[in-house]
Amino acid sequence: MKKKTAMSRALVRRETIAGYMFMLPSLFFFLVFVIYPMFMCIFTSLFDSNMGRNTVDQFIGFANYVELAHDPIFLGAMKNTLVIVLVSVPTVCAFSLWVASAIYDMKPALTSAFRVIFYLPVVTGSVAVTVVWKWMYNNYYGIFNYLLKGAGVIDKNINWLGDPRFALWCIIIILFTTSVGQPIVLYVSALNNVDQSLVEAAAVDGATRFQIFWKIKWPQIMPTTLYILVITTINSFQCFALIQLLTSGGPNHSTDTVMYYIYYTAFKLYRYGYGNAMGVVLMITIAILSAVQFKLGQSSN
Amino acid sequence: MKKCLSLLLAAALALGLTTAATPVRTMADDVNITLWTYPIGNWGNAETVDGLIKGFEEANPGIKVTVEYLDYTNGDDQVNTALEGNAAPDLIMEGPERLVANWGAKGYMVDLADLWDDTDKAEVNAAVQSACFNAEGACYEYPVCMTAHCMAVNLQRFQAAGADQYLNLETRTWSTEDFINAVAALYAAKGDTVATIYCGGQGGDQGTRALINNLYGGTYTDPEHTKYTADSEENVKAIQLLYDMEGIVFDPSIVAGDEINLFRQGILDMSFCWNAAQQNNNANNDPGLTNDGDEIVFMAFPTESGDPRLQGGIWGFGVFDNGDAAKIDASKAFIKYFADGEGTDDAVLASGFFAVRDTAEGNDLSGIYADNAIMSEFTKIMPFLGDYYQVTPGWAEARTAWWNMLQRVGAGGVVADEVAVFVEEANAAAAK
Repeated sequence: MKKKTAMSRALVRRETIAGYMFMLPSLFFFLVFVIYPMFMCIFTSLFDSNMGRNTVDQFIGFANYVELAHDPIFLGAMKNTLVIVLVSVPTVCAFSLWVASAIYDMKPALTSAFRVIFYLPVVTGSVAVTVVWKWMYNNYYGIFNYLLKGAGVIDKNINWLGDPRFALWCIIIILFTTSVGQPIVLYVSALNNVDQSLVEAAAVDGATRFQIFWKIKWPQIMPTTLYILVITTINSFQCFALIQLLTSGGPNHSTDTVMYYIYYTAFKLYRYGYGNAMGVVLMITIAILSAVQFKLGQSSN
Repeated sequence: MKKCLSLLLAAALALGLTTAATPVRTMADDVNITLWTYPIGNWGNAETVDGLIKGFEEANPGIKVTVEYLDYTNGDDQVNTALEGNAAPDLIMEGPERLVANWGAKGYMVDLADLWDDTDKAEVNAAVQSACFNAEGACYEYPVCMTAHCMAVNLQRFQAAGADQYLNLETRTWSTEDFINAVAALYAAKGDTVATIYCGGQGGDQGTRALINNLYGGTYTDPEHTKYTADSEENVKAIQLLYDMEGIVFDPSIVAGDEINLFRQGILDMSFCWNAAQQNNNANNDPGLTNDGDEIVFMAFPTESGDPRLQGGIWGFGVFDNGDAAKIDASKAFIKYFADGEGTDDAVLASGFFAVRDTAEGNDLSGIYADNAIMSEFTKIMPFLGDYYQVTPGWAEARTAWWNMLQRVGAGGVVADEVAVFVEEANAAAAK
């Protein structure tokens, strides 16, 4: 018996070592490209760090964080970011679920065609997508102004990306079109995996279509929903390329997001420490929101 | 057996990694240098640059040059990232505002003062020379070419609106009042945007600065290039005038490149970001014509005094201090060849601008555009070249603050207040 236990322990140890060895390459990249930069980000945020071969970083404690709390541009950027998250996340989830529900039980070829159509903006380069949208939004020859003027809705061109009233919403629309592809594909797959015997049993018992969805399908696709909520939230928080390519945060900082303002502070104003402090705040915000989403998802389950 | 095989594989992998990490040299004595260039005329065109590099490598057999191309939207970020990652190129081609006032001031550039002998000092345009040296006498850019930035108008549109009477095509000058009347006439004829104060980013911001400074004789910095003075009464008056003019729009959705495209497409009647290379551009039509065939006329910026001060453009080479003496020497040989040697005429022609000197090591450069009517005509406005203030400390930050200020004015901000904020931000950067 004693001999058997010793053998089991040896086997467990061997498997554990093998497991760690398999993890080692990923762990190496995770440590070098995620943990180390994260540590450096937190560390540098405590310094007045600027560009320059001969400059010496000055330790300033939490002064960057105190400044952030009083920086109207940062607070505006945070507000814009939250607007993007609060608008995009529910609309992307709801729209994706609606589309997926409509197409998942169609003929396979038709379902695939719809999946391709909705997934196309995801696989198309963000620069190409942005350039096309920029043409459509153009103040002077854009198709939106052309159509709205032709229909008599407006009599003067609207500077979509140059007017603070419209610019952020224009970006949210583009973000929406590039964000729905993956959730639709995931929802189609999740809906196809719903236990059909339960659906049929509920139908036999007289459940309505809404009841079947809400009581049978929704709980079964909850893990997918949770995943979609988390990735859409993170993507929305990290909205950067669209801002840089379309508005550079303008007009008058009305489309600044935290991600763009980090770039602006670090690369245009060369204030690395201050930019890193923003990065830390963003990281904490995303972590808290993701934890809340997980918690809510778990309690729903 | 398995262990032996594993050891062998591991050894092979380690050897492979070691080999890959070793720098590759084409020949034992070759020095490989890297040039990063902004799109300065055809210095952004791989075909042209390949030809230039081939000539250099033939004349300097021990040096190999690799070229990478930057753009004005992301180029600075690429260079800054490379500098922070200790991966900067050996050579870079751009203007003193970046090489001297930014990277040079931050300690990243090699002092090129040893490339200047008395003949060079006598040959190179004095204003250009001064822009390439810092206050301590270190040279961070060896200049190759220069131009005067100006504006351009669509002649047929002006004629149709009766506004051509305000243009002096002989001297290429006009007064502030002429400009006001011309915009009014064009707007009356068209009922739509005549020109834009583009402020979506820093690209081509020399145009908006020069327009504003010239209208009532304002200045951007003090003559010593130590502080920003754009909050002067003259500048405030000029910005207010532009904001109040029907037909002029402060547009935060475009930068200069977009404005030039809109002008070429005939959507706008004026461009505030023009120079000799733009006038010679034949991408969509013959040089000097819009896409629809209207004649493009370049003009100095309007002034009250009749004495325009145009913003200069200077381009040349700088060397990043990467700590490799052989590469620094090879880079200097490259500079000597293209800025003061047998390749200078080709380098200047590729840029589409004017040479900063009349001769380079005995080669006459004064006639390189003898058969180009547009360039000959363009020399008319070269005497209007004004102060090269782009070397003022904090320049990079000041540029960002400038277009943000224009956006705030365009959004209805009080001009005097917004310009004061700009000057405060820019001077804070200059004082660092």
